[in-house]
Amino acid sequence: MEKTITARTGNEAMAEAMRQINPDVCAAYPITPATEIMQIFAGFVNDGRVKTNLITVESEHSAMSACVGSAAAGARTMTATSSQGLALMHEILFIASGIRLPIVMADVNRALSAPINIHCDHSDTMAERDSGWIQIFSENTQEAYDSMLQANRIAEHKDVITPVMVTTDGFIISHGMERLEMYPDAEVQKFVGEYKPQYTVLDVDHPITVGSLVLTDYYLEYKKAQHEAMKAAKRVILEVGKEFGKTFGREYGLIETYKADDADFILVAMGSTAGTAKAAIEELRQEGIKAGLLKIRVFRPFPAEEIAAVLTKAKAVAVLDRCESMSNQAGPVATEVKAGLYDAGVKVPLASYIYGLGGREIYIEDIKNVYRELKNIAEGKLKPEQAKYIGLKE
Amino acid sequence: MTTKPNLKTWRDIPVGGVLESGTSEHFHTGGWRSKVPVWQKKNCIQCLTCWAFCPDNAIKLVDGAKGKERAEFDYDFCKGCGICPEECPQNNKIFKELKAKDANLKGSPSTATGTPGFDEKAAILFVGLKEAKDKYNIK
Repeated sequence: MEKTITARTGNEAMAEAMRQINPDVCAAYPITPATEIMQIFAGFVNDGRVKTNLITVESEHSAMSACVGSAAAGARTMTATSSQGLALMHEILFIASGIRLPIVMADVNRALSAPINIHCDHSDTMAERDSGWIQIFSENTQEAYDSMLQANRIAEHKDVITPVMVTTDGFIISHGMERLEMYPDAEVQKFVGEYKPQYTVLDVDHPITVGSLVLTDYYLEYKKAQHEAMKAAKRVILEVGKEFGKTFGREYGLIETYKADDADFILVAMGSTAGTAKAAIEELRQEGIKAGLLKIRVFRPFPAEEIAAVLTKAKAVAVLDRCESMSNQAGPVATEVKAGLYDAGVKVPLASYIYGLGGREIYIEDIKNVYRELKNIAEGKLKPEQAKYIGLKE
Repeated sequence: MTTKPNLKTWRDIPVGGVLESGTSEHFHTGGWRSKVPVWQKKNCIQCLTCWAFCPDNAIKLVDGAKGKERAEFDYDFCKGCGICPEECPQNNKIFKELKAKDANLKGSPSTATGTPGFDEKAAILFVGLKEAKDKYNIK
């Protein structure tokens, strides 16, 4: 297969992925730093390079509402948003997942107000972690592009039928230009495949009810069915990731490890910081510190067993959260990692950190310091702290 | 754990709760009423305004001498919202006449029940549950 080597920003890569997928409908509203995705895609619509019906709406609440209507009509439906926009979609996100509509969304991680801030952290996406959407994080532009190409297959799989959001880190990935390997349109379309919806509200010969009232007698059963779909999603994400690897040469899983096999100290991170951590690990290995990384690619469904299996060998673990959940304990990633370890019976010293809120830079040296603290924790010189802020002015 | 034997399990329910259409026919909402509309056929001019305004399709149509006519309320579905007595042009006409005679008359056609002269001439009365049962034989 002939791949095209290009230079693309994360937003450009996501728009290109959407062009290749050629969805039936997109409904979106602009918001920094995700605006460009739909702006570029609107150009593709204007130039006749896609057959997509692009619906411009008056808010993100309306954007997701239009997506729900479109997906219920049986159209392959996509959108893009970020931060306050995602927050404004909140109500409708639960409806999309609850009535099981396989919408795919490009979501650019950005801090939530207040104070108002346009830069990266994960608080917007983490605020939707219980919305019933599958959540896939990207380390770089290539992963964002690749995950977008897999998202429809995962969302539309008969055992899943659940919406998917693929995220990039605001500005760091969305506006950072990187090397991107693109695949031919025809190969992508063959991989993504034709969408066969399970129903359409537009079939007047077979009228149906979508979104009916479900009270005490069945609500619990609907949630259990959704719960099981999320469980099945773990298997389907692996299957699709494997097939993607066979087709395009890059395989994807729920998590990725980097030099974790023999590592004494393992750091858990998501998104672009995983790349920074890899650079830190290279330097630490030169210093003789056995550092390793566990990158969580898929946060929903949460790969608790897979994470516990990797961390069980570590002498000390650090979990990095780019989100503050104000729980007085730790950020959401650390909290879930700890829950997974408890269930697996793994007792390992674990320190949790909050970093990068509102786009605060995280440097290789910051991450090296975390590993050094882990070494001290493992040697009993330091007690593991929870929700320790990195890079704070004190 | 107890489960009602006639209910489906989580494995058997349709994905996303998609059902055949018209399921609201099985869901009788008449029990929600706290007031009851009473149709006085003798005063009705068959304009079908009430039929058009009813949000619950609780006013049925039948074939009459001059075309479609309204029939009795479908009390299985009438929630007692009070829109029909309010919109009824016959009620409004009567109420206006009464008001012209008595400037101190308060309220609207739907609250005029019990006002002397109104109950006899109105096409749709809006009465309490007990009155509906005792006086008009409506449950």
